[in-house]
Amino acid sequence: MPEIVSIVNVRKDYHLDKVIVQALQGVDLSVDAGEFISIAGPSGSGKTTLLNLIGCVDVASSGTVRIAGHDTASLSDRELTRLRLNTLGFIFQSFNLVPVLSVFQNVEFPLLLQRRTTRGERTRRVDELLEKVGLDRHALHRPSELSGGQRQRVAIARALVTRPQIVLADEPTANLDSVTGDTILALMKQMNQAEKTTFIFSTHDAKVMSHADKVVRIADGRIVAAQAAGAHP
Amino acid sequence: MTLQSLRALPSEAALLVRISLRNLSGSFLNLIIGMIIFAGTLFFVVGGSIINSMDTGMSQSIIGSVAGNMQVYSASSEDSPALFDNWNLPDLAAIPDFSKVRAPLMANPNVREVVPMGVGSALVVCGNSADTALERLRKAVEARPRAPRGQIESLKAHVRQIVNVIQTDYDSLSRVAVKNAVDKQSVQDLARASSDAFWNGFDADPLGHLEFLENKVAGLIPDADQIYLHYAGTDLDTFGSTFDRMQVVDGQAVPKGRRGMLLSKFVYESFFKLKSAYRLDEIHEAITTQGKKIASDPDLQEFVKQNRTETREILLQLDPLSAAKCADIVRAATGSKETALPKLLESFFDTTDANFEDRYKVFYGQIAPMLELYLLKPGDMLTIQAYSKSGFLAAINVKVYGTFQFKGLEKSDLAGSLSLMDLMSFRDLYGYVTPEKVAETKRLEAEAGARQVSRADAESELFGGDSLVGDAKEGNINDKAELGDVAQRVKSQDLVTRTYSPDEINQGIALEAAVLLKDPSKLKQTMAEIQALSDAQKLNLKVVDWQKAAGNIGQFVFVAKAILYFATFIIFIVALVIINNAVVMATLQRVREIGTMRAIGAQKDFVLAMVLTETVVLGLLFGSAGAALGSAAVAWLHHAGIPAFNVFLYFFFSGPRLYPDLSTGSLIAAFFVVLFVTCASALYPAIMATRVSPIQAMASED
Repeated sequence: MPEIVSIVNVRKDYHLDKVIVQALQGVDLSVDAGEFISIAGPSGSGKTTLLNLIGCVDVASSGTVRIAGHDTASLSDRELTRLRLNTLGFIFQSFNLVPVLSVFQNVEFPLLLQRRTTRGERTRRVDELLEKVGLDRHALHRPSELSGGQRQRVAIARALVTRPQIVLADEPTANLDSVTGDTILALMKQMNQAEKTTFIFSTHDAKVMSHADKVVRIADGRIVAAQAAGAHP
Repeated sequence: MTLQSLRALPSEAALLVRISLRNLSGSFLNLIIGMIIFAGTLFFVVGGSIINSMDTGMSQSIIGSVAGNMQVYSASSEDSPALFDNWNLPDLAAIPDFSKVRAPLMANPNVREVVPMGVGSALVVCGNSADTALERLRKAVEARPRAPRGQIESLKAHVRQIVNVIQTDYDSLSRVAVKNAVDKQSVQDLARASSDAFWNGFDADPLGHLEFLENKVAGLIPDADQIYLHYAGTDLDTFGSTFDRMQVVDGQAVPKGRRGMLLSKFVYESFFKLKSAYRLDEIHEAITTQGKKIASDPDLQEFVKQNRTETREILLQLDPLSAAKCADIVRAATGSKETALPKLLESFFDTTDANFEDRYKVFYGQIAPMLELYLLKPGDMLTIQAYSKSGFLAAINVKVYGTFQFKGLEKSDLAGSLSLMDLMSFRDLYGYVTPEKVAETKRLEAEAGARQVSRADAESELFGGDSLVGDAKEGNINDKAELGDVAQRVKSQDLVTRTYSPDEINQGIALEAAVLLKDPSKLKQTMAEIQALSDAQKLNLKVVDWQKAAGNIGQFVFVAKAILYFATFIIFIVALVIINNAVVMATLQRVREIGTMRAIGAQKDFVLAMVLTETVVLGLLFGSAGAALGSAAVAWLHHAGIPAFNVFLYFFFSGPRLYPDLSTGSLIAAFFVVLFVTCASALYPAIMATRVSPIQAMASED
């Protein structure tokens, strides 16, 4: 499998008032296309920072981040945005649906931003995805009418609708009960299998990590271990 | 941008609008923004329509009454025309021969008519009640023995009644006045005139007795009215056919080519009418058309007070028979047992909201037929004296054919006080005669036996010896006598019946000329053409538009408009600041949502467009609602009318009520103003929103 994410000796510093917080202190990571990996670590370990760099919403202080062959340091804001739109999908801890739009419209939204699909094509793709996540009957509902698990399914559909190469999920189950969390992870895994989409999700929950093909452990801004799932006691 | 991306554009715009519409109900702030825009648009549409209607009405009133679309006047003038400035006559140089100006101006294809004019003012003296009564008695006496005996007796009784009224005045004056303040001779004269002996001896020497009354008694009545008359001399025929706002109210138009005058109805009512009657009219109108109440309106209370105390004009007019009849009527109307007529009239005029309409009816139905309501009636001659251009006092007699009004300016003493006079009479008063006309005038005067008598001439002629004036008079120059003299010796009937040809009217001086256009929208262009023509042909003219020609009044329009636009401007500036703040707050509440959109691939442009679209959609929605309600309000006002509370408003409204039309201009302007204000106020928050980082979408929810 080709390498889709390549991170080499990346450092990320934040300036908080006069203190410099070293969120990442020389991280190397390589992710192959089609992987289903978890970035694990406690709060403040740097996992969200790492996810932000992969998600092209932030850039590294030094080192190289290559996403699908693009060196993010050399891209403009506009190009980074385009990369996020076309190559990446996002699933958020708090779901982050647009409250005023219906389920269908939320999922359709990235396609509209892409401006390259016809109405018919969009409808077909949105309907197909909603069916896959089991929400085809809720297409016209507003997010506020849905449960947490349902909202996260909408978010998954939205992340996948542009057929991205990578889907990033930041603590996707943190706001869900464990049963719902399991079904969400199962759904993500299913999508990973079916579409060969690379999934990278962060978590601090051991039970959630166990779903991953590979777990990357991070602590104090460094990767402490990267191993296949189940290899860890 | 590819073809595909273009095809998706409407969808994206639709998405933006959809997000905005959905967001409308999402925030309380939007409601505040919406209400501000709603109120602003409402104000703009209603205010704009009212101002526009006022502007249109007023400009049509001004243009259609006397100003025309533009005015030309001599370039040598010190001032510029100010047709409606009653108290301030502009210093205009004369156009020596109007016909030489008219012809070239009429050659301009856009000129419909050129009407010569000149504005002047004069004091007009109308005789008092005693003069009128004595004059009648003298005529009756002179007509003996043809005059019926009863008529003379009745007139004698009236004069005696007048003497009694004056006697009563002097008695009360003597009681309160300091010693010597009352002229002893006058007291003696009055005593004689009121004595039985005087009246018993009247028939033996009526002329002698009349002379005593005329010279010694009539002068003791201080009620001779001096009326300030503001007039425009013009070619009355052309004027009448050109200015559509002019309408004859009483009497008739001045016959074609004749000398004559039409008094402004407003002036006729205000100054020539019996004051008590005029005040009753004013109260009546205020109550019926403006819904005012005597009990609550200080102006009306003042009228009532004046009516109670100023009854002498009525008392002087009544002969004993009428006085007795009047007393009966008043007793019946008031239920009073009083016998003295002055007291009775005082209680009669003590009107309240409860009894006013009854008293008004009684006055006009029963008392007025016994009175002369006007100092002058259509068909009467009016003597006008005015200081001419060269400084001497010129006087003419001119027949008043009736009254007229300018529709829309009827009640306005700002603009409705202009009376109309024929151009020949105006020229006589103005006193400037072209050399060519001197000879003809001389010939005419010789034919008619007429002479213009001015003070300066009169003096030189008097002391020079052999003039007619010298023969007729000895010693004192008395303005009044001199005028009477003119009235007698000008065989005014000859001038009155003479018909002047259009050429005679045109070939003489004019002070200015109103130019009426076929296409008023080309005003500026035609003004420029006429100015160029004047310069090229050395006509020595200056051109001003109607607004300037109207004088200060024309500027009021501008000021009213400026005030409205300034008020609107302030409202929208305030709206802009408030909306700006509200949108900033609304945007801060949505940082997470905006961050999410940025994270999943929305460009900054999209976020910018989204915030702008939302505010603009909000603006257009509430703006449309405001415009709709505004239009409804204007439609209602168009039906109901806005009452004019005072003379200023009467003028601005061109009538007692303004019936505003919805102005499409205001609607269109409101649309663009709302668009501009919302865009401008949302611009900063929209730019702020583009700075929201996609990282902010990642932050956890608290």
